[in-house]
Amino acid sequence: MRWISKMKSMAVMMIPSLLLYTVFIIMPVFVTIYYSFMKFTGVGRPAFIGIRNYINLFRDPFFFTALKNTCIILLMSAMILLPLSFLLALLLEKPFRGNGLCKAMVFSPYVIAPILVGVLWVFILDPSMGLINAFLKAVGLERFAMEWIGGKTLTPYSVAVVYMWQVLGFYTTVFIAGLRQIPGEIHEAGQIDGAGKLQSIVYIVLPMLRETITIVVVLIITGSFKIFETVQQLTNGGPNHLSDVLVTYMYHITFTSNRYGYGMSIATVTFIFAGICSIIYLKNAGSRLKKGNDR
Amino acid sequence: MGKNLKQAVKVAMALMIGLIVVLPFFWLILLSFKTDTAILNEPFSLPAGLELDNYRRALKVLNLPLLYKNTGILVIFTQILGLAVTFMSSYCLSRMVFKYEKVRNGFYVFLLIGLTIPSYLLLFPLYRVTIMFHLQNTYLSLILPLTATSVSFNTLIFVGFLRDFPGEIEEAAIIDGCGLANLCLRIVIPVIKPVFATLVVFNVIYVWNEYPLSVTLINDAAKMTVSLGASMFRSTYSMDYSGMVASAVLVIVPQLAFYILLQKYIIEGMTAGAVKG
Repeated sequence: MRWISKMKSMAVMMIPSLLLYTVFIIMPVFVTIYYSFMKFTGVGRPAFIGIRNYINLFRDPFFFTALKNTCIILLMSAMILLPLSFLLALLLEKPFRGNGLCKAMVFSPYVIAPILVGVLWVFILDPSMGLINAFLKAVGLERFAMEWIGGKTLTPYSVAVVYMWQVLGFYTTVFIAGLRQIPGEIHEAGQIDGAGKLQSIVYIVLPMLRETITIVVVLIITGSFKIFETVQQLTNGGPNHLSDVLVTYMYHITFTSNRYGYGMSIATVTFIFAGICSIIYLKNAGSRLKKGNDR
Repeated sequence: MGKNLKQAVKVAMALMIGLIVVLPFFWLILLSFKTDTAILNEPFSLPAGLELDNYRRALKVLNLPLLYKNTGILVIFTQILGLAVTFMSSYCLSRMVFKYEKVRNGFYVFLLIGLTIPSYLLLFPLYRVTIMFHLQNTYLSLILPLTATSVSFNTLIFVGFLRDFPGEIEEAAIIDGCGLANLCLRIVIPVIKPVFATLVVFNVIYVWNEYPLSVTLINDAAKMTVSLGASMFRSTYSMDYSGMVASAVLVIVPQLAFYILLQKYIIEGMTAGAVKG
């Protein structure tokens, strides 16, 4: 292919992508970091204040509330979503009548605009007119009717449920794709050796899915740090920032309070936290992978 | 017998989970035919009749054609621009000969870094850029960054596919005197059409649903997208729940219909990245 590889034509092929990508994706990251060391309210020039924004961050109770809420969502998703999507994939992997319909139904929330997901769930979670409390009242369990959103404690848990609803089908599909890659002979060999259903899942399927599990966990981590629309629609962070997550709090500080520098320090820290969580997990998964290979 | 029963239980479980997942959609549609008092006081009553008043009110408030037009413009331009530029760079990365292999790998890795960059990091800088160039409330202010966000994913998929795909036909064409532009347009693109389809599905849904960037850069009602329109429901309708439900149905149902029509491709396209990455 040397004939077509003239310097000029290669430049013509590469430059549009590189330019677009560098200007709108890579440079903004540095701009964000730059502003996180500045005090800037939108008027005048940004003033360099060192790491003051970051120090303020660790004294800001609202920031810690947002961090706590984000962690609640992350932990709940990891603990429930991961096993649930795996089990659902086991159910849906083998063909049966209605299989396609099930997959289509479970996947459907994933294509709906997140902002509409927020609007939709208002009608389910709202304490006064939502489906859940209406149902509890109708069956006489009124004492369990709670402030699922808008109260002081429950919103992050509700947001986690909504998030799981949104992405369950997606992760199930990823797991199904992983399951399909396990060769049939391995199952047969296991059966011949006398492995039961549960044994073959624990000793054959799960170890062979390591890579898929790693991908799913990292996607869950980065995904739950990115939740924005649902919180904004359900409570807009209220009351008094009690239900904010890191990204909605960052948005509020940046675009509602116009404290751009401080907002950018929150954005940077959020990104770093998400990165650290992923790296810690990848490290553990990596060492486990090695051990598995040594055996 | 035992095996059949087990299978039946499994199928029933799978169907149940599926139904639970779609329940919120049906709930919304049911509510949309009811009056405010019915929504608040007798939530489980069936609608009195096919009451279309909610929809009439919603259509009056909601400028659906405008929202769809704006979103459509964004989708079309981001797709054309994004696919063109990323196909070119991916073809260059996977077929053309670099003097040093390291340079090629460097570009490839550089273009993939974007997969790890979340959009919330970009909002404020892009807002500044938009103001700097006086692009507030223009389509262009959204088209360029939205196209840029597709670069990494498109590169991953395009390069991955082109690498697995033999280049002999292309070599033969070059020997026959085919130039680079003709080669791409007449020979390569027709062969890798399915890859384009996957990417279009993925990116169209992304742009259609995009919200954080649009809400940051657009505040002119004439340029609002579907997502932006939907985000205003709560404030526009405040206490008019039935109007709000009807509006939500009016934007969710077309999206669901589109999904049902193309669900096989959509599921494949949207999971391609996770499975290949």
